[in-house]
Amino acid sequence: MKLFRAIVLTPIKFYQKWISPSLAPRCKYYPSCSQYAVDAISAYGVRGVLMATWRVVRCNPWSHGGVDYAVVQAPVKNPMNLKGAI
Amino acid sequence: MDSILKPLYYAVSWVMTVVHSALGYVLGKDNHESLKWTLSIVSLVIIIRVLLIPLFVKQIKSQRAMTVLQPKMKEIQKRHKDDRQKQSEEMMKLYKEHKTNPLASCFPLLAQAPIFYALFRVLNGIANNHSFVPGVITPKLLQSAHDAKFLGAPIAESFLNAHITSTKIVTVILIVFMSATTFTTQRQLMVKGMPKMDSSNNMMVQQQKIMLYVFPIIFAVSGVNFPIGVLIYWSTTNLWTFGQQYYVIKRNPTPGSPAYEELQKKRGISDGTGPDVVSPEGMSESENQSRQRQQPKKKKRRR
Repeated sequence: MKLFRAIVLTPIKFYQKWISPSLAPRCKYYPSCSQYAVDAISAYGVRGVLMATWRVVRCNPWSHGGVDYAVVQAPVKNPMNLKGAI
Repeated sequence: MDSILKPLYYAVSWVMTVVHSALGYVLGKDNHESLKWTLSIVSLVIIIRVLLIPLFVKQIKSQRAMTVLQPKMKEIQKRHKDDRQKQSEEMMKLYKEHKTNPLASCFPLLAQAPIFYALFRVLNGIANNHSFVPGVITPKLLQSAHDAKFLGAPIAESFLNAHITSTKIVTVILIVFMSATTFTTQRQLMVKGMPKMDSSNNMMVQQQKIMLYVFPIIFAVSGVNFPIGVLIYWSTTNLWTFGQQYYVIKRNPTPGSPAYEELQKKRGISDGTGPDVVSPEGMSESENQSRQRQQPKKKKRRR
């Protein structure tokens, strides 16, 4: 299961590190959709993928955005630790 | 997968063939086939971008609404000077509270993805002499599209399955063009178009360094897989984005952004000489924000 999370998180991390900084901020939410995805997937796995997808759908011109955390408390697991699972 | 996306293939093929035959009246029925097919791809961009304009207008309106929030935004920036995360969190709360949000969301980008993918599939089909929608793209049209060229490169051919060198050359040219337009657009938006956050100059420089090589790499890695026609679509939509943003930054900038200050300053100067009249409110704001010159009359002396 940890392998799944690590595989799904890799492209998101890549996006965060290399692509996102090159683009002007555009996300209507805090934390941004990519960070939300990282938090949700680290905490909930497959369910997190669905949550993240739903978040991207919610981030649209008709929404007002706002503060919206994937996990109510700060994520327990440090997603960086998952790298060891690869 | 293909059966689900069939309506999209149909839509893309239909637009392309309709534009292709419409251009026949202008350019001649069997002449300029290459130009007609190239323009049919450009027209796809025009249609989708025109459809997206209402969303864009909506975004500009909510950016304008930010004028009212300016004092509160400054307060937040001051209060959380050293904590950028807290700063953005509070900003988002403020936007939500006032039901306005200057950020664009990913939607305008994602909305184009299905069209983009459908065009990719349709052109790949054309390259292999296969029509996904035989009723729309007839064998004759298929042959004509198959032979259509842009700057000497077949529009259905990609770098990786190129039969002639010009495909490779044109791919490289378009990749350079796409990187340059994306870089310029994003840079302009970050430098001039966004309300000033407390991000340090150091970070800006770092970001721009990343931008300089990230875009070419990403476009190069993906671009070699795409038919020339898809790259034409991408380049055109980039050009549109740039033009649209240039217009907004010059004419309708986000309150609080450097472009906004520039416009205010310009209007402030032309206030005395030209017909452009600026409301007193706008004037005082431009003076409050300009860091370079201080108007003595605005100084509040408290004794």
